[in-house]
Amino acid sequence: MEAAPRPILVALGSEARALRLIQAGFRMARERSAPWIAVHVETGGAQLSEDGEQVQVWLQEAQRLGAEIRIVQAPTLAQGLSEVTRGTRAQALLLGRSRDRWPWARVGHSTADELQRRGLDTRIEVLDDRKDSVGPDLRGTGFSAMVGTLSVLAACSGVAWLVPREGNISLVLPVYLAAVAFIAHRWGQGLAVLASVLSALLYSFLLETPRFSRAATHWPNLLFFLAMLLAAQAVVGLLRRLRQQAREVQRREVHTASLYLLGRALARSLTPGQVAETAVEHIRRIFKAEACLLFPERSSWRALPPPSLDPGLPPPEDLLPGLDVGERLGDPLEPLAIGRTYCLSLTGTDRSEGVLQILPCESIGLPPDCWELLKAFAVQIALALERLRWLEEARRAQVDSETERMRSTLLGAIGHDLRTPLAAIHGAAGSLLLPGDVSDSTRRDLLTMIQDESERLAHLLGNLLDLTRLESGAIQVQKEWQPLEEVIGSALGRMERRQGHLPVRVDLPEGLPLAPFDAVLIEQVLVNLLTNAQRHAPGREMDLRAWDEPGWVHLEVADRGPGIPAGFRDRIFDKFVRLPEAGEGGVGLGLAICRAIVQAHGGRIHVEERPGGGSSFRLALPLDGTPPPPPEGAL
Amino acid sequence: MSHPLILIIEDEEALRRFLIPTLSGQRYQVLSAATATEGMAMARSHNPDLVLLDLGLPDMDGMAVLKEIRSWSRKPVVILSARNQERDKVRALDQGADDYLAKPFGAAELLARIRVALRHTLQAEVAEPVISSGGIRIDLERREVSLEGRIVKLTALEYRLLEALVRRNGKVATHSQLLAEVWGPGGEGNTHYLRIYMAMLRRKLEKDPTRPRHFITEPNVGYRLNLDALRD
Repeated sequence: MEAAPRPILVALGSEARALRLIQAGFRMARERSAPWIAVHVETGGAQLSEDGEQVQVWLQEAQRLGAEIRIVQAPTLAQGLSEVTRGTRAQALLLGRSRDRWPWARVGHSTADELQRRGLDTRIEVLDDRKDSVGPDLRGTGFSAMVGTLSVLAACSGVAWLVPREGNISLVLPVYLAAVAFIAHRWGQGLAVLASVLSALLYSFLLETPRFSRAATHWPNLLFFLAMLLAAQAVVGLLRRLRQQAREVQRREVHTASLYLLGRALARSLTPGQVAETAVEHIRRIFKAEACLLFPERSSWRALPPPSLDPGLPPPEDLLPGLDVGERLGDPLEPLAIGRTYCLSLTGTDRSEGVLQILPCESIGLPPDCWELLKAFAVQIALALERLRWLEEARRAQVDSETERMRSTLLGAIGHDLRTPLAAIHGAAGSLLLPGDVSDSTRRDLLTMIQDESERLAHLLGNLLDLTRLESGAIQVQKEWQPLEEVIGSALGRMERRQGHLPVRVDLPEGLPLAPFDAVLIEQVLVNLLTNAQRHAPGREMDLRAWDEPGWVHLEVADRGPGIPAGFRDRIFDKFVRLPEAGEGGVGLGLAICRAIVQAHGGRIHVEERPGGGSSFRLALPLDGTPPPPPEGAL
Repeated sequence: MSHPLILIIEDEEALRRFLIPTLSGQRYQVLSAATATEGMAMARSHNPDLVLLDLGLPDMDGMAVLKEIRSWSRKPVVILSARNQERDKVRALDQGADDYLAKPFGAAELLARIRVALRHTLQAEVAEPVISSGGIRIDLERREVSLEGRIVKLTALEYRLLEALVRRNGKVATHSQLLAEVWGPGGEGNTHYLRIYMAMLRRKLEKDPTRPRHFITEPNVGYRLNLDALRD
């Protein structure tokens, strides 16, 4: 037996790049047809609640893509991961690059390296996004930075002191260059310029021979100073560009991830209320702002979730045109500010679905760098609302057409089937009332016709009433445990009392259990099925069988008629559906009643082709509940 | 009592127009009332031999009329009810109604029910000691049942059930009435006992138990022994 493939582990934190890890894990698991597990290690440090929420979001996303979810607690990430990896005998472990601040701390100290050292029998894959990783933040040019700068300079002056100085600048320069570059990288331009000045002075006063000559204007000293300045500028410029790029990349990644999550959550929303809740929740998390959706209702706004964040909003007819123009005078992305709130039009493909109102939590308003994302959010929300509107319209159209179809078939059926017998009765009674002699046999004929036709009318009306009551739930099923034999007997008795002997062969096995059902309703089902069988195969033998299996009892009414075409076998149980060649008699309600009754019992009914010709209607009733105890002394 | 007096309490005129000539034509004397109040007054003043009572009356529940009549008279009451009202039928029967007819009904059915109900009063509680036909012979005095000349062995409960049905003389008996009579007080909940014993009786006494000719089921109401079939 082939062993099951070892799982793939994906370590998830709260960062936006977790989405990429999830996708990579999902892909790898699919390629290797292996199960995959999303792991989050709680290291016990003080965690921001937002981070916790974000982790939950990622874990849910992973779960949706088929991952198993594990949350473990461990003192360090590496320890937690190695425990899980060992425990699950994972074939591969995917993780993002660790966020250690110091480059030297990364070398040999990253989580990945530590895992390697633990000697795991697992391939460790680090999703490398270092090229867009962000350098450490600029620390302020505060006191500590100044001290830092001075210490670095002092340190490298010490080093430079040790360098053999034969008036040779080339050996000292690199030491100071390195120091200035480092300071530029770490504390920014201001201190870097200061450091270059200081290092030039240090060089001239301390290191240049003869010492303390103050020959600062000596040309090598000037050269030294210029080199320092240029180096600092270059490093700072380079770093700034790099940082900007990195920030941009990260911002995009956060945008993509948050849009993706919003889109997914909106796709699951089934009502405008749910769309509003989802949107508000996501906007609160991403923009730290309160939000609500506004829908125009006559000349005021309806807020979801209520209340509106700024009740002093202009009425829809004034606000909407302004919003729909879209392009604002300044930045086309800038939302319309009204009071303390911002309003964005939720415009889908063809029209405005409503307005998104935002109230930033801080007094500074909405920073411009989030306008773009906010617009994208508004589009997503608008599309979600539009999708719901279209769904609703489609559903309504379907209901309308269904109702219309029902109405026309009902009218057609009633028009024809009620009028025909009525016309016959009316006519027959009229001719009986005519003055003059009517022969006895004619009289009898007319009276028989009146009786037959009124019975037909009564039958049709009864069916219509039964179906209406069944469908409206007005008929309650009174289940009682009883033998099937009895209801078969009463159904056959009811039919034979009306029309004489029926060619029905009944096959009931000995020891058929009692079943819980409503005798009146099941009798109706049997009568309807037998009537149909008789109508489609007049004079031919019909079979009525019953049998049981654990939990169910089955009944079958089979005929040797022309059978039911395969395309009709499901629809035949619908209201007013008649076989095209069925001809007179029946309005297509009998089987609909059968199905309604059987379903009200928790059972099922279907029709199948009978071997050797004809059709076989089969119904199954559940034997639910405990059968009553048999009477004492009974066999 | 050559021409029994029948009181019709029915609010629908069309039905009265059908009932009165049909019954008069069969040599019954007929009285009719369109409301419950009128009907109860007529019942008291004329003391009819049989009452045809519609359950859906405009001024009062038919059930209350039945109770009122039963408070002073044992004369047969036949209920006229709409279809699918088994609960009402059972309630009326348990309240002392003798039989019921579900609308729409034909003249033949109506007259047959009236005959059975009237026969019941004529013979009081005593049924004929020997009933014999359709191959079945029931001798109530000797407590003997035979089918096509051969004695059929019935258990004590089966015989009591058969006897209870015979004594009703063709009238319907509700489940709870039969349970109380055969199993005694406390047996009311066990309708399935009744059904099982009924099935056993049918197996012993019907030619084809799935097409009973004598032991007729009235679904969700009760049973009736078709004496006409026995007497044919």
